[in-house]
Amino acid sequence: MDKTDREDRIEVYEIGYLIAGVPEERVSAEADALKGVATSEGAVIIAEEAPRRERLAYTIRKKAFSGAYDKHDFAYFGWVKLEAASDKIEGIKKRVEALPSVLRMLLISTVRENTYLGKRAPAAPGGAVPARSASPEGDKAKEGGEAPAKPAAPASVEDMDKSIDEMVKEV
Amino acid sequence: MKKQCYFSQHNIKHIDYKDTEILRRFINPHGRLISRRRSGISAKYQRELATAVKRARFMGLLPYVAK
Repeated sequence: MDKTDREDRIEVYEIGYLIAGVPEERVSAEADALKGVATSEGAVIIAEEAPRRERLAYTIRKKAFSGAYDKHDFAYFGWVKLEAASDKIEGIKKRVEALPSVLRMLLISTVRENTYLGKRAPAAPGGAVPARSASPEGDKAKEGGEAPAKPAAPASVEDMDKSIDEMVKEV
Repeated sequence: MKKQCYFSQHNIKHIDYKDTEILRRFINPHGRLISRRRSGISAKYQRELATAVKRARFMGLLPYVAK
């Protein structure tokens, strides 16, 4: 009984993937193929980000058809958020993993809301990745006084109500 | 003065593994996670942060070890 309850539950998942070993012009086609795998299993795409070229933090090796290992220092990282039945997701994962251009993939259970605001300075398509903060921040700097990287928290409900009232008055 | 949790302060509900800019604030130059005693993060967010960092490492967005 418990099993049937679990089978038809619709959940929100996110697939993060690295595409490597394909020319730049074919990357979007590979991403579409990946999305096609998900949609063919009945998943609905909620959100996505097109693959962008990233320098990997470490070299990733993948066994090629020849048996030799291909080394990758750069890859195209993209993600897709989808809604799928929990009993279908394992099939989607296996099929995505089997795609030859997918260097690595990560399937996680997530929430429908947007949890990622994106990079502050988006990379030019196919261009170099913007330089990241070179030092992964010594804690001393943080302890001294945090320089918030994120935009300030959203305005309170009272502030919003006030501004709406003012706008209504003007009209 | 008591340190405030960065994530509570900035109204961040979910820590995303793709948000490497934020994750990098909480790893030391060796690539290891900074303890919550030093960073002042709440236990709940420290657990979420650890998961996000591990995911980012797996995807090659953050290093397992550095230097």
